[in-house]
This record gives sequence, C-alpha cells and structure tokens, in this order.
Amino acid sequence: MFESLVPSAAPWLAAVAAEPIAAGDVINLVPLLLLLPIAGFAFTALFGRRIGRFAFLVPLLLIVATWAIAMVVVYEALSGGFGEHGAGITLWTWIPAGAFQVEMGLYVDQLTACLLIVVTTIGMLVHLYSVGYMAHDPGRWRFFAYLNLFMFSMLLLVLGDSWLTVFAAWELVGLCSYLLIGFWYPKRSAALAAKKAFIVNRVGDVGFALGIMLIWVSTGTLDIRASFELIAKLDPTTIAAIALLVFCGAVGKSAQFPLHVWLPDAMEGPTPVSALIHAATMVNAGVYLVARANPIFALAPGVMVIVAAIGIFTAILAASIAFTQTDIKRVLAYSTLSQLGYMFAALGVGAFAAAIFHLMAHGFFKGLLFLGSGSVIHAVHEEQDMNNMGGLWRKIPVTHWTMFVGTLAIAGLPPLAGFFSKDEILGESFMFGFTWVWAIGLVVAVMTAFYMWRLMGKTFYGEPSAHVKGIWDKIHESTWTMTLPLVLLAIPSALIGMALGLPFGDSTLKRWLEPVFAGSEELLHPEKHPFELAGIDGALILVSVAAATLGLVVAIWLFGAFRRAGSRSRVESLTGSNGATRFLYRATLNKWWFDDLNHLLFIVIGGRVAGAIWWFDRTVVDGTVNGVGRLTVDAGRGLRRVQTGRVQNYALGIAIGLIVMAGSYLLIAAR
Amino acid sequence: MSQSLDAYLVLAGILFAIGSFGFLARRNAISMLMSIELMLNAVNLAIVAFGAFVPELNVDASVIALMVMAVAAAEATVGLAIVMAIYRNRRTPLVDEYDAMRQ
Repeated sequence: MFESLVPSAAPWLAAVAAEPIAAGDVINLVPLLLLLPIAGFAFTALFGRRIGRFAFLVPLLLIVATWAIAMVVVYEALSGGFGEHGAGITLWTWIPAGAFQVEMGLYVDQLTACLLIVVTTIGMLVHLYSVGYMAHDPGRWRFFAYLNLFMFSMLLLVLGDSWLTVFAAWELVGLCSYLLIGFWYPKRSAALAAKKAFIVNRVGDVGFALGIMLIWVSTGTLDIRASFELIAKLDPTTIAAIALLVFCGAVGKSAQFPLHVWLPDAMEGPTPVSALIHAATMVNAGVYLVARANPIFALAPGVMVIVAAIGIFTAILAASIAFTQTDIKRVLAYSTLSQLGYMFAALGVGAFAAAIFHLMAHGFFKGLLFLGSGSVIHAVHEEQDMNNMGGLWRKIPVTHWTMFVGTLAIAGLPPLAGFFSKDEILGESFMFGFTWVWAIGLVVAVMTAFYMWRLMGKTFYGEPSAHVKGIWDKIHESTWTMTLPLVLLAIPSALIGMALGLPFGDSTLKRWLEPVFAGSEELLHPEKHPFELAGIDGALILVSVAAATLGLVVAIWLFGAFRRAGSRSRVESLTGSNGATRFLYRATLNKWWFDDLNHLLFIVIGGRVAGAIWWFDRTVVDGTVNGVGRLTVDAGRGLRRVQTGRVQNYALGIAIGLIVMAGSYLLIAAR
Repeated sequence: MSQSLDAYLVLAGILFAIGSFGFLARRNAISMLMSIELMLNAVNLAIVAFGAFVPELNVDASVIALMVMAVAAAEATVGLAIVMAIYRNRRTPLVDEYDAMRQ
C-alpha cells in the first residue's frame, strides 16, 4: 500500500509496510528514534511561540516516546536480538557521486545500546526538569525546540554508521551546544561563552575532519565497520595518524587539555543544558568516538599512551581547579572535566568497557548533581556563589538527599555506582602495567571526594550566609517536575554500579560489550588475569576506598557535615600557611592561567598578526586593484587634452599625419 | 616666360606653404578662408604650368584649372556663409573661441 503512495520511498519504509511482522522488526523502529525528536523540533520551532505556556508538551511527549522506543531497541540489542555484532539499516544513499558513495545508515550494537540508555534517559529527565526550571522564562518554546534538536543530533551521532554521518551529527551537536549555552543571548557573557565553546570545538573538529579525509584517502570507504578491516591493512604510521587525528576531535568535543577551556564557561547556559549537554551526553561523544574506533586505536599503541596521558592529566588539572572555585556550577564543570579525563585514561590503557561503564555511571550521577544544583540555585533565588549559601539541608530535603547520594557516588564509595566504575578503571590501569595512570588516578580520587564534599559542605551545611538568612522564609523545595527527575536519577546513581559492575572481574557490562571490544582486547592484552578478590585486585579495591574515604574525611573536617559547621579559619590557615599553598591557591583560582594564555596567544598576538595581514590586504592587494583603475582614469584624463575643440588643431594633426605617412612611404619605397 | 618648369612649381609650392601656414595659424575665420583661396590658386598655378610646358596636356590643363576655380568659388561661398552664421551666434570671428566640442 505504501509503495504506491510514495514510489521513491526509502527502502526501510517499504520494508515496514511490506512485512510488518517480519524478523528483525525492531531494527525498523530505530529511524523513529531520529524522526520523533526532529519532528518535535520542527513543530516547536514553527508553532512554539504561538502555543505559549504549553509549548513543552509536544517535545516532552515525543522524548518520552523516544525513550520508550530506545528501551525496546536496547533490550533487543543487549539480549542478542541483533546478533553478536549488531545490526544496521540503510535509509538511503546520501551522496551518490561515482567513486564517492556515502549511505545514510544507522547501526545498533551493544555499545550503541549503552549510549542510548544514557542519552535517552537523561534527555527525558532533563526535558521533564526543564518544564519546572524554565517555567518563568518567556523564551522556553525556543529552549524545548533546541533540546529536541539536540536529542536528534546526539542520537544521530550515536546511531550513525558512516564517518561522515557521525561528523555531521558531531557538528550539529556543537551547534546545539552553541544555541543552548547562548540561550540567554542578551547577556554578553553567555554570548561570549557560546562563541568560545563553538570555536574551541571547531579546533578539535579540524583534526577530526582531517582524520576522516585520511581514512577516505587510504581506504576508499567511509563506512565505519568496513573501514576498520581496511585500516588494519595499512602501515603503522598511517594508522597512528588516523587515530591521533580522530582523537583530536574527541579532545575538542570532550574538553580535554588543551581544549578544555570552553566547558567551565559553558555554565552560562541554563542548568538543564549543563546537565544534559555538558555532563551526560555531548561531552561523552568524544569517549564514544574513541570507543567506537577502538580497532584503530588498538593498532596504534603509541597513540593510546597519548590518550591516557592527556586523559589523566586533564583529570588532575581539573580536580585541582575544582578545589578553589566558588560558583557551584563551575565546581561541577571541573568535576566533569576530571571524570572525562578518567574515561580517556581508561580508553588509553585499553580498559574500554571500564570507560563506557564510567560514562554511564557518570552520566547519571553528574546529571543528578547538575539538576540538583539547579534546584539549589532556584531555591536561593538565583544565587550561584557557594559562599552565599549554607545551612540549607533541612530547608530543601529532597534536593539535599539526592545530591548527597550523587556526591557519595562520584566520590567512589561502595556500593554506589562511582565506586564500581572508578575502581575498574584504576584496577585495570594497574593490571595492564600503567602504574603512573593508577597513581595519578588515585590522587584524583582523593581530590574528587574532597572537592565534592566541599561543595556539599558550603552549600548545605553549617551556618547560613547573610544572603540565605535574608530570604530564609522564601526558600522552598522545587516543584515535582524538578524533584522527580532528581529522585529518578538518584536510583541509578546508587544501583547501576551493582547492576552492571558485578560480579567483579567479569561484570555484566563487560560481557555485554565483549563483542565490540574483543578484537582490541586480544591485541593489547592477550594474557588474562583471573580476578582475585583476596589477592592484588582486592588490595586495589581497598586502596581506592581508602583514598575516597580520606578525601571525604578531610573535607568533613574542613567544611562540616549536617549540623556541624565547617571551620573557615582552618581553611584559611591551610591555604595561607606558606608560599607554596598560597601559590597553589592562586593558581587553581585562576584556572592555572590557561584562559589568560589563550587570550595572550590568540587575541593579543593573533590580533596583531591579523592586523598586519589586514594592513597588507588593504594596502598592497587593494592598492594594486585600485591602482590599475586609477592608472586608467589618469591616462584617459591625459589623453583627453588632445580634444581641444579647435578645428585648426585637428587640421594641424591631419597635416602632420600626412607628412609622416608621405615621408615614411618615400623612405621605405626608396629602399 | 622662364625656360624651366621648376620655377613655376617652386612658386606654386611656396604659395601653397604660405597658404597652409595661414590656414593653420590665423585666428580670424575670414583670414583662414583667404588662406584656403591662396592654396587653391597655388594649385591652379601648378596645373597651368604643367599645361604650358607639356604640349599633350595643354587642353586638359586649362579645363582642370577652370574647374578648380569654379569649385573654389563655390566652396568659398559656402565657407563664408557658415562663418557668417557662426558670427551671428557667437559674435566673434576668432576660431579659438569656437570650443563647444572641447573636452
């Protein structure tokens, strides 16, 4: 029936119509995951302003539907319904240009399923949260439209089966990030932050694009799975180059050093944006990219070391900065940077499943923490400086207790999610021989526990600040649309570790993801150590837990817990005790001066260079072009003086011409 | 009568040169017309001189000279009429001042 209506319909549409109850039916649902969000975007963008107060309804419902379909697809993928290596579906031929063929296709395997869980669940909860958070904002129809567009882009990124599709979605996600960070565009700092995010992303994207071009040139195909087999046959230098360039893109998108500068500034956007894009989904795109490209990276061990080094360096750098930041969202932003560093460190040492585990766990508890912070900000009437908070734990209990769960999860205390994922990363780093990664990672674990409890202590515990006391009676818990997502996120933050991380050494998640990473694991770590709870693995677990506990204890001592107030004097005495700590305090407060360095290099020096080139363009290039014109005009003006208008002059001209002609004729004829 | 043709031709040449100079250098339009007449007469002299010294050309030379004179008269008339028309318009006979076509 449908074929007659749409004769040139995409093959999948015909398949659905022709065989509605065929095997592999679930794969036909996958394009819906893209259609629903983009339809929501189109609808809200076109009609949202007119709908007014209920503009959130259509996008929210469509995202809930997307989540439901995603869960069906995930179940099918993880239970083996798509086969061991996943299933794909080709929608249509995007670029049929002779030798250059690119298909628009989608591909679902176990890795995709894990990402789908995170993206759709947190996306749905953020949509619900935004209903309450953006309730008083006149531009919220735009917000929901952008959120839907973002969901579309992120899902396309995760589902795409061609490098070009992934790249297009990559850019689209960056665009949505720009639109959402700069949502309150009349605010200058927001507009600047949006620009910064987009431009820094672009720097990474240059590398990514070059990597894709290199893949095309060396293998002749842009299909991801096909390219893996062909890349394996190339020479090591090319493989390393491809891996390095692809990693560049990941560095930009996932805000690793040196392209980390955009993420803290991105906190100018509304808190749901920070939760969705800059904690749970977009920044994970880089991790997903490297995990998806693991066959390439496994063949380039040198690049893997670089990945691990940059990852763990970012982790400790960001953790150090989080020690002294006072804006609650900035602390969480640096925390995100740090945890992303962990994920890249895991990818770099070859613990791919651990990285994905941490990606999922982090998505949940960081999303929880961001949404919770948004609830706090709402409660204290848009105050974001933690020094102006305090003593709130009894006033906003749901927010407090869910953030408490999130903090313990990120600190890595068992049995919550962070413990399992972080410990797996650290354990595998140690077992694969990357002791330096393990050591730095352990220090970062201590720091993480410390600064997260510092956030809790300053925000919720101890004596209320003057600002809080001033509005004490007006502080209330947020509406159900905001607290329900918090509760719903606290549950996986607590339990997903046990659900996916047990049994130790052969976790559920590892078994799920085995087909995706098996080849690389074989290549990198051919010897398998059985897990020894009573042996070295158990010892490593104890060390991780001890590290987290140490961080928490020190933070409790300095910043208080529940009714017990922190001690500001103790903190000040510590930071001011000697030159070294004073320097560290200043350094971390100024974000290790990276923003100033960038400003110096690119704005000041780059500005001078640009000015010089502009001078050259104005004077030399434009001068030449204008000079030619001026020459013509002046020549004309000069020649015009022959036209005197006097007949006698013209007659004289004739006479002279006659003499010249006659003379030359005589002279030549005489020869 | 001089025995060589050259004398008459030299005289004709000198007259023509004087007439050319006058045409190119005089400011008054009437003077220019007079110079043109002088040039035509010089040519006439040259033709008649040829007729006198070359027996075969005797008859033709006279006819040609007569034609030239007639044409000169007609052309002088027309030229004078134009000068008078311009004079009525511009109030000056000086060709320097006729510069409406000047760039």
